[in-house]
Amino acid sequence: MGKIEEYTVKRDADRTDLKLNMGPQHPATHGVLRLELDLDGEIIRKCTPHIGYLHRGTEKLGEDRTYISALPLTDRLDYIASMNNNIGYCVAVEKLFGIEAPERAKYIRTMCAELGRISSHLLWLATHALDIGAMTVFLYAFRERAMIMEMFEKLTGARLTVSYPRIGGVRNDVTQEFIDRAHAFADEFPTHMEEYETLIDQNRIWLKRTKGIGIITADEAINWGLSGPMIRGSGIAYDIRKHEPYDAYKDVEFEVPIGTEGDVYDRYRVRMIELRQSALIIKQCVEKLPRGAILDPNAPKFTLPPKERVMTDMESLIHQFVLITKGPMTAQEGEVYVATELPKGEFGYYFVSDGSGKPYRMRLRAPSFVHASVLPLMCEGGLIADVIANIGTLDIVLGECDR
Amino acid sequence: MEFKKIVKTILFWEILQGMWLTLSNLPPWNAVTRQYPKEPRYSDPGFRGLHALVRNPDTGREKCIACGLCAAVCPSRCITIHTGEDDKGEKIAEEYEVDVLRCVFCAFCVEACPVGAIVLSEHYEYSGYSRGDFYFNKERLLDNWDTFFPGEKGKWYMDNIWKHPNADDYKAHDDQAVFHGIQKEEKQ
Ligand code: SF4
Ligand code: SF4
Repeated sequence: MGKIEEYTVKRDADRTDLKLNMGPQHPATHGVLRLELDLDGEIIRKCTPHIGYLHRGTEKLGEDRTYISALPLTDRLDYIASMNNNIGYCVAVEKLFGIEAPERAKYIRTMCAELGRISSHLLWLATHALDIGAMTVFLYAFRERAMIMEMFEKLTGARLTVSYPRIGGVRNDVTQEFIDRAHAFADEFPTHMEEYETLIDQNRIWLKRTKGIGIITADEAINWGLSGPMIRGSGIAYDIRKHEPYDAYKDVEFEVPIGTEGDVYDRYRVRMIELRQSALIIKQCVEKLPRGAILDPNAPKFTLPPKERVMTDMESLIHQFVLITKGPMTAQEGEVYVATELPKGEFGYYFVSDGSGKPYRMRLRAPSFVHASVLPLMCEGGLIADVIANIGTLDIVLGECDR
Repeated sequence: MEFKKIVKTILFWEILQGMWLTLSNLPPWNAVTRQYPKEPRYSDPGFRGLHALVRNPDTGREKCIACGLCAAVCPSRCITIHTGEDDKGEKIAEEYEVDVLRCVFCAFCVEACPVGAIVLSEHYEYSGYSRGDFYFNKERLLDNWDTFFPGEKGKWYMDNIWKHPNADDYKAHDDQAVFHGIQKEEKQ
């Protein structure tokens, strides 16, 4: 026995259990999650998730940056839905400063957030199916995901880490081409959804691998603090977009799907319906998109002054310098918590402000962290093959879990 | 209904459907994959790629006035500026260094610069064998400008990408994109 094997596979003298380390480099753990599994044959007796391999100290880094320049940090939390992270951050900072983005910016943000949600759910569908053994869906889902990436690239200049919204609005206006493309995409997206469903929805292998696996009851879901599709799969219609609408969510119509059994298959169904609902929201946003400012005109203390004025107008120049070196200095002393609905679940931003241009404390409530903690509940007593299905259904991203 | 279901189960109907979908996407004219290194991919204008320092056509030197705003806003703290004076006594950047490996390509430096002296080009394919290859000093950054923004392109970038926010962003105007219905789209 080699040294490495001795280390990872170790037998306890008086127990028949086998200790197995799954991850952190296991491709099915969606990042760098490590699971310590106590196995009795194929049965999991104990499952202990270990996290922290991707810890970058985002919360602490945020304290050292002004409200303006901390935005790109949030891209790197849930890096497959960075648009949603950015928007959540901006909504939270806006609440702290007591400003509100103009209508047009709100619609643009909502539209982009839903595009981000589709892209994130597609990645989830692709990898989840791939883990369980349905390779084909991966290719189809990535085809559509690439379309969204390309739209984001045209709009923001980056495919993945967009840094697009700004405090009090968005960086640049959408073009006619973008909204036409977004509308066309949302229009034809249900036909693509049918393709994915043809491939796996009734597939007997898929059903065997997902039905009755990883059951979480409604009570358990509440007690563990789950959110997003995880809690909705257990039959609780909790959606922050409906309960505490931010941006333009109060003006668009959509349904909140819920499951009945709380198993892996139900959560799959919930996410599939959410994908369709997101496409509907995008269509509504495009159709209702009003003309107007994209940055809050009443809040010049938070947004950079117009470029054409910076070098001609002394006040604007000073404003630009102060804003960038010191940050927006008009925050009230106090604290604010804003929860936003990310594809993964409830993502909360909590700021404590001491009135300076930097947050005194930036705390992030990450859904993946909460969801990773529910793994033992789902895995213990089950088979080792179902661990993969359970990790997939959580839809965790370790960048956000470890922060 | 039950009978139908049993026949479908015996015939592996849902698997056949899936197989048919896969087969129908098999012909090469349905391919969507780009054969990347053979078919290069060009980014759209405004892509946030490698940095470049703008060369002022009048003086032939960099436009940068060494104000340090880009370094102050940079979230990853990867810009280093040493200021100095030229022979006329004007403040210039004696050394301007970007550690590209640390950069997160947020383009905040572009936004913060009051004179539009630093830009991000569309170039994204760069690699090197050592870390030193990725410390871009002033000369290399100016070279990037000459390479990636030839002719009118630099002016175009300033007018279209760097200009945000401009005065129009704070009010409604007629050029803004709104939805005109699907019919128009079909005609195009
Ligand atoms: S793009 Fe962002 S991270 Fe890179 S140098 Fe500019 S400000 Fe810094
Ligand atoms: S590049 Fe722009 S922001 Fe940076 S030091 Fe030069 S003039 Fe100032």
